[in-house]
Amino acid sequence: MDMLIAKDLTVSASLHGERVPVIRELNFSVAPGRVLGLVGESGAGKSMIGRTVAQLLPPGFAVTRGELMFDGQDLVRMPFETRRELLGRDIAFVPQEPLSGLNPVLTIGQQIDEHLARLDFGNRKVRRDRALEMLDAVHLTQGASLLGKYPHQLSGGMCQRVLIAMAFASRPKLLVADEPTTALDVTIQARIVQLIAELQRNEGTSVVFITHDLRLAAQICDEILVLYAGRPAEYGPARAVFSEPAHPYTRCLQLSNPAMSGARRGLYTLPERMPGLSAIKGIEGCLFAPRCPNVTEGCNAAPPPVIDVGAGHRAACIHPDRTAAIAAPVPAAIDASGLGTPLMTVDGLSKTFTTRHGLFQRSEFAAVKDVSFALHGNEFIGIVGESGSGKSTVARMLCGLERPSEGAVAIAGRDVSDDSAATRAYRRDYVQMVFQDPQSALNPRRRVASIVTQALEAAGTGTGAERLARAEALLSEIGLSPEMALRFPSQLSGGQRQRVNIARALCAEPRILIADEIVSGLDVSVQAQLLNLLLRLRRQRGFAMLFISHDLSVVRYLCDRVLVMYRGEVVESGPTAAVFDAPSHPYTKSLLAAVPPDDPSAAWAPRSRDAEPALALGAGL
Amino acid sequence: MMRRWPAWLRSGRVLIGLTVVSAILFCAIFAPVLAPHDPNEQNLISTFVPPIWAKGGDVAYLLGTDSLGRDVLSRLIYGARVAMLVAVFASLGAMAIGAVLAYIAGYFGGRTDAVIGRAVDVWMSFPPVVLSLILMVGLGVGLRNVVLAIILVDWTRFCRVMRSEVLVVARKDYVAAARLLGFSHWRTIVREIVPASLPLLITLISLEMGIAVIVEAILSFVGMSVSAETPAWGQMIADARQYIYDSPWGLIIPILAIFLAVFGFNILGDGLRRTLDVRLTETQRA
Repeated sequence: MDMLIAKDLTVSASLHGERVPVIRELNFSVAPGRVLGLVGESGAGKSMIGRTVAQLLPPGFAVTRGELMFDGQDLVRMPFETRRELLGRDIAFVPQEPLSGLNPVLTIGQQIDEHLARLDFGNRKVRRDRALEMLDAVHLTQGASLLGKYPHQLSGGMCQRVLIAMAFASRPKLLVADEPTTALDVTIQARIVQLIAELQRNEGTSVVFITHDLRLAAQICDEILVLYAGRPAEYGPARAVFSEPAHPYTRCLQLSNPAMSGARRGLYTLPERMPGLSAIKGIEGCLFAPRCPNVTEGCNAAPPPVIDVGAGHRAACIHPDRTAAIAAPVPAAIDASGLGTPLMTVDGLSKTFTTRHGLFQRSEFAAVKDVSFALHGNEFIGIVGESGSGKSTVARMLCGLERPSEGAVAIAGRDVSDDSAATRAYRRDYVQMVFQDPQSALNPRRRVASIVTQALEAAGTGTGAERLARAEALLSEIGLSPEMALRFPSQLSGGQRQRVNIARALCAEPRILIADEIVSGLDVSVQAQLLNLLLRLRRQRGFAMLFISHDLSVVRYLCDRVLVMYRGEVVESGPTAAVFDAPSHPYTKSLLAAVPPDDPSAAWAPRSRDAEPALALGAGL
Repeated sequence: MMRRWPAWLRSGRVLIGLTVVSAILFCAIFAPVLAPHDPNEQNLISTFVPPIWAKGGDVAYLLGTDSLGRDVLSRLIYGARVAMLVAVFASLGAMAIGAVLAYIAGYFGGRTDAVIGRAVDVWMSFPPVVLSLILMVGLGVGLRNVVLAIILVDWTRFCRVMRSEVLVVARKDYVAAARLLGFSHWRTIVREIVPASLPLLITLISLEMGIAVIVEAILSFVGMSVSAETPAWGQMIADARQYIYDSPWGLIIPILAIFLAVFGFNILGDGLRRTLDVRLTETQRA
């Protein structure tokens, strides 16, 4: 019998006194020992399913129709006490943010012990032995010393392992993993996912794996359910959904994700974005129709029926046969021909941070060691590496937010190493930065027009009307409507905010743009829009960019050259294609191997590195 | 479209606080018009007249008279002048010193921050009431000196709270972005940091006004505030204290006045904090 069955599951939210279905008529089942992947962009309702299992719906949300059966019992209608007994024992959860999943004021040992005590694991001694066994099972060596540590002393990956160990402690029948690797580095993601798969196989656990990464889902899931605005778009065996997607949405998602192998292909850009709660009400037919490339008149008439398109493979589309015809656009040729004299040369750049402990002790940490490279006009250089590899520190030094400890930076032939006012003004004419988090990078009290024309304000040029005109011109250049000029950042979506963020830097007409993780945390469709925007802007305006990212596929799509950083050093650099096709440094190889391959049937064999525990312990001491 | 009231004006707390505070302010400004008697006019024939609602009350003295036969209501209304003057000027003065130092410390950080932080620590290690008494002894009585004493004692409160707020805002990427676009330090502080910390500043001022009213009452109670011919609420309490059993109203009424003023300022400050604080409103929206 299936472990988890959703039958016509409908979750509604009350919006201005009206009930709007957030999840509508969802049908799926997870057999014992199988992994179901829930895939979709943010807002698709993926996490809502995990919350429905735990019955931890936000206020105003409720299951209004259908049922969710766990092991023959109705999770929605069972009494609170019964559910509480099930949760954490038969149904376990792995959260997205490992650090917030653990209590910061208790040691790892105390938290595991508390959990085991609840599961009636006998006395303290037995529980401690069991805790050590559990940590061993998630490949955390030195378990005994780990038990006395606090969560902040561990790396994100180690915290996530502790949480996985706790989740599997009770030999649960069902595990709900909500984006368990999104907050982690790619090399650690691979190991965490494999760990879940390993324990799942050993224990015969059913898993609901929530992710936005279609490639990752194709690797580890047996079945995949693609959600769009709370509606099932496609459901079927992972391989079939991935290799022969029947719903246009699945196909578009796939095509908007940059490829990791083969020839560089263009990115499909889905227009607009997923309808929100209030927009859903106004759409009569298929919710995807406004963005669908294959839309016909029939699509807008009525909601599409869910039809069979293969063995166990269903899709909610009235003409799935046309889906395969959707093709990625021909990529805009990357033109790195403008290489002449370098625009910016970086020579032996280093940064050492000094931390004081008490009066006399001090420790030094070399965040960046001897980084040298040259950036030419119109060239996009990608810097990749894990968190803590010094990527962001390089960016901050290049735009003058941080003073290098050693080394020299020259822009268009002039040395900009000193911190005089003249140098800063000179640097400002050439270099601008786009910050990672638009939430923090946009002043919430300024209107969009005032944000994007800050460069004019700084220079003291232009009247109010001139600035507004400039703002509107910039907005249309970055693909936003001029009416947005009078909005506040809080009234924009994540992707729109990031565009405003880019527009502000562009207003100063820089010749070099430094972009720090500007597409991380965005949905693939928004990411594709932004990447294509950057390429278009380069064609139209001409600028060079230093693009810092942990996402290798993005760098492969966007950048002409790539620098691989590991522990503050550049371990490999060269033309993107050369580095990706034939990596020479072992670290580059392990980084590349950690990315789930494009072809789901290809073996995914991330190399295990011992660097991670060593790093984390070093940080903890 | 109809112009809507801003959110902070629709909060019940803010409205109550504003009503109380403006009523007191009104009394203070129009004291000569509102007061039925001269506050210092003595009527030794009718001393200890109880308020109108108590037995033996007199219509001529709505809130009764004190030991020298002075009208309590008139003294109360005139006392509001001292209280309000001190509240407004002392809190603005304390803000001016405290906030400016806080912006400097929080924005520049490092050694500047350490020096200002230590100064605040040392300053705060003196007990506030003792410090203000010492200052009053040194400066001599008088309204201006009361204000000065409160400013010198209470600027640290502003400085410490504002500094931590400025520290958070100064770390935001938009502040770094403004610097990269060529904003001067001065312009960055004024355009990017001050607007973000303004809600806290307004709230602190409002709370500080309540504190200033209390401190002034304490000082005038011990005779260290304004000179004896200027009526003040603390003085009224001190005068009535000896006759607490014979004429309790003389004591209760100025205490109620102080209570009402402090309540008004505090609830105004609390209401402003709730409606202006971005963090609170953001969590409610989410």
